[in-house]
Amino acid sequence: MKRIFSLTWAVALNAFVESVRNRFFTLFAVFAFTAIYASVLAGVMAVDQEARVLADFGLALMELTALAYALFNASSVLLKEAETKTIYLVFSRPVPRAAYLAGKISGSLLTSALMLAVMGTMHLLLLRFRGFAVPPCYAWALAGSLLKLAVITSFAFFVSLFSTSVVSTLVISGIFWTAGHFVVETRFLAERSAGAGAAALKAAVWVIPNLQLFNARDAAGAACALGPAAFFSAAAWVAGSYLAALWLISGKEF
Amino acid sequence: MMRLALPAAALLAWAAGSAVSDVSYTSHFPPPSEIHTPVSGAAGDMFALAFGMRRLFADVWFIRLMQYYGTPELEPAEIMEMVPVPGEHHHHHGINGEGRYPEFLSRSRHVLEIDPGFTLAALYGVGSLAFNMGRTAEAQELLVYALKYSPREWKYLKVLAAIGYSKAEDPAAVAAEIAPVLKDPDCPVMLKQQAAFLNKKIGNYAAAAAIYADIAATSHDTAYVSNAERELAKLAALPAQRARK
Repeated sequence: MKRIFSLTWAVALNAFVESVRNRFFTLFAVFAFTAIYASVLAGVMAVDQEARVLADFGLALMELTALAYALFNASSVLLKEAETKTIYLVFSRPVPRAAYLAGKISGSLLTSALMLAVMGTMHLLLLRFRGFAVPPCYAWALAGSLLKLAVITSFAFFVSLFSTSVVSTLVISGIFWTAGHFVVETRFLAERSAGAGAAALKAAVWVIPNLQLFNARDAAGAACALGPAAFFSAAAWVAGSYLAALWLISGKEF
Repeated sequence: MMRLALPAAALLAWAAGSAVSDVSYTSHFPPPSEIHTPVSGAAGDMFALAFGMRRLFADVWFIRLMQYYGTPELEPAEIMEMVPVPGEHHHHHGINGEGRYPEFLSRSRHVLEIDPGFTLAALYGVGSLAFNMGRTAEAQELLVYALKYSPREWKYLKVLAAIGYSKAEDPAAVAAEIAPVLKDPDCPVMLKQQAAFLNKKIGNYAAAAAIYADIAATSHDTAYVSNAERELAKLAALPAQRARK
């Protein structure tokens, strides 16, 4: 067991270092910084609501930037390793596929966490520079974004194992992300529908993860704290995607 | 065997996540049936829901509301046609926010439909409708909607009482009722401006000066700041006995 963990950690660390060295990652960091700075303009338009607008714009932009990178990374990494034959080198050694996949997902999540941490620091510095305090629930908002990214990244890994291209994985995962924010509305529609439509909508509520559960950014006041249910659901959905991806990767010939 | 166990375990884990989420999550937001989106803002509302960015898009709607309310209702040509009368000053949208602004209620309500926790936007909308435009029925309608999602918000209750006194034409009671709200960070500068004006009207110059000083020190809105500075200068010029009242 200890060996499996150490192999998983080695793959995760390798995936993380590769991401950090990637120029793509640097581009996103520069983009995020520039865009957050541009948000100052939006803040000026809001006059006495500048602090709120800056906080909301920055948090939303951070999540979208990290999402874009995480999805691109998750969609392409396995495909790229198969094309460059790196995966053959890994599997020629005694590396179980379970450890390899867990390492790749963990590495991707570590990258997302680092991205959020770097962008969060830049954002807080910008707010401080403008004379504003740390917005309420800031840490919960970032934690919620990371949980969302964990769910969608592991799902993208699963999709990348059966989809035909990076683009199709990106599209499917993007739709899943969007639908994940509509679960409450889907439930609302299901309650007002009848017959096959209601059954389909109710099934969708069970299949699509409710990403609003992690949306501490939009919750007001004390409601922003993420409860144990949010952490449990995130862990369960990540585990579900991981096991499904493991099932697919186990059947592949490398 | 392992090949069959994996998808079964995946489904089980996924269902466990969905079950816990289903039981534990309660939405604090208005259902879709309550969102009355203006045609020009449908795409924005879609993004707000699809990306879980209600607060950000509520901010955008609030900026649009302020731009709407800050735009003179008359065309520049119409303003030019108005004959200037010496000593008479026309306000199309003065510092006290006079005007018709027929879409004000629907626009204010839409901000709350997207983010019902946006207290400042609710107070701004209610205060403008009730105290600037004299549309107390619409202000109460907006407050009732705001209270539906924040029933324990004491600031709403204070403003609701103040509207009642406003209808009874009791400016002293209105000023007293909204006084605690002024100290809250969610209090819009427009409401502070109204409170200062009411205090001045009832002869409570010290309280008015304190509110104007607060506006001058804390607001980023240049129009309100320069007005507050003007009023402070006027109050300072009052004879000492009157200013102490």
